Amino acid sequence: MARDGRRPLDPSFSVEIYDTTQLSLEKAIEGAAARQQAIAQNLANVDTPGYQRVDVDFHQTLADALASGGSGLQDATFSPQRDDTATVRADGSTVDPDVESAAQARNGLEYEALVQISKARIDILQSAMGAK
Amino acid sequence: MGLFDAFDASGSALSAERLRMDVTAENLANAQSTRTANGQGPYQRKEVVLQEAGSGVGASFADSLQAARGVQVAGIVTDPTPPRRVYDPGHPDADAQGYVTMPNVNTVTEMTDLIGASRAYEANVTAMQTTKQMFARTLDLLK
Repeated sequence: MARDGRRPLDPSFSVEIYDTTQLSLEKAIEGAAARQQAIAQNLANVDTPGYQRVDVDFHQTLADALASGGSGLQDATFSPQRDDTATVRADGSTVDPDVESAAQARNGLEYEALVQISKARIDILQSAMGAK
Repeated sequence: MGLFDAFDASGSALSAERLRMDVTAENLANAQSTRTANGQGPYQRKEVVLQEAGSGVGASFADSLQAARGVQVAGIVTDPTPPRRVYDPGHPDADAQGYVTMPNVNTVTEMTDLIGASRAYEANVTAMQTTKQMFARTLDLLK
């Protein structure tokens, strides 16, 4: 598999409806949803002393899954990890509401972009199938 | 896995922050109360203790991370700092030296707490809105 996640063109290989790109998009949407959950959790604990923020690095998980090839992509799961690199506040918490808000805005836009691209691909498939 | 967990996490924070506001309002309301409901001493400042919701200590680390569970109120504790002593001999609760024991409430602290709670509330409402938008976008796929 090429580095960009697309299968190399192989004449003997039949075209699948759910190709690697569509699957990657689905997985990325799943990852962005998991990240939103982690950010919501961090913002919920913005006033909890000693709370350590969590994050989901779904970009890295996806990149690794695509690089490994095979069924790696299907089996990729996104789990929140404690982030021990963030700055610690005076009360021991590592949540910075500004950082979380920025991450959330970014993640929301990314999610939207992923869904839009998925929708465009589904629309293309639908028109190929002769649907209105 | 689902975005609904994010809703629950934000929702738990909304109730926790509202409780903080309630308690701050109570502290401000009783900033001059020299007697408590049971007639003992001056009012003592109350504070909300928040903790991360979830399976607590002992549960496996990965398990506690699986779902976003939000925040929970561990309890409302009274602030043990000593009360203020104000010289006011005319006050009915003044002692023999003319000093009145006033609550340990500092209005400035309460106001900053109130702003903090209000901002945290806003941040969580924004988180909920973002989650809702993400949901709506996904539903658009079906159109």
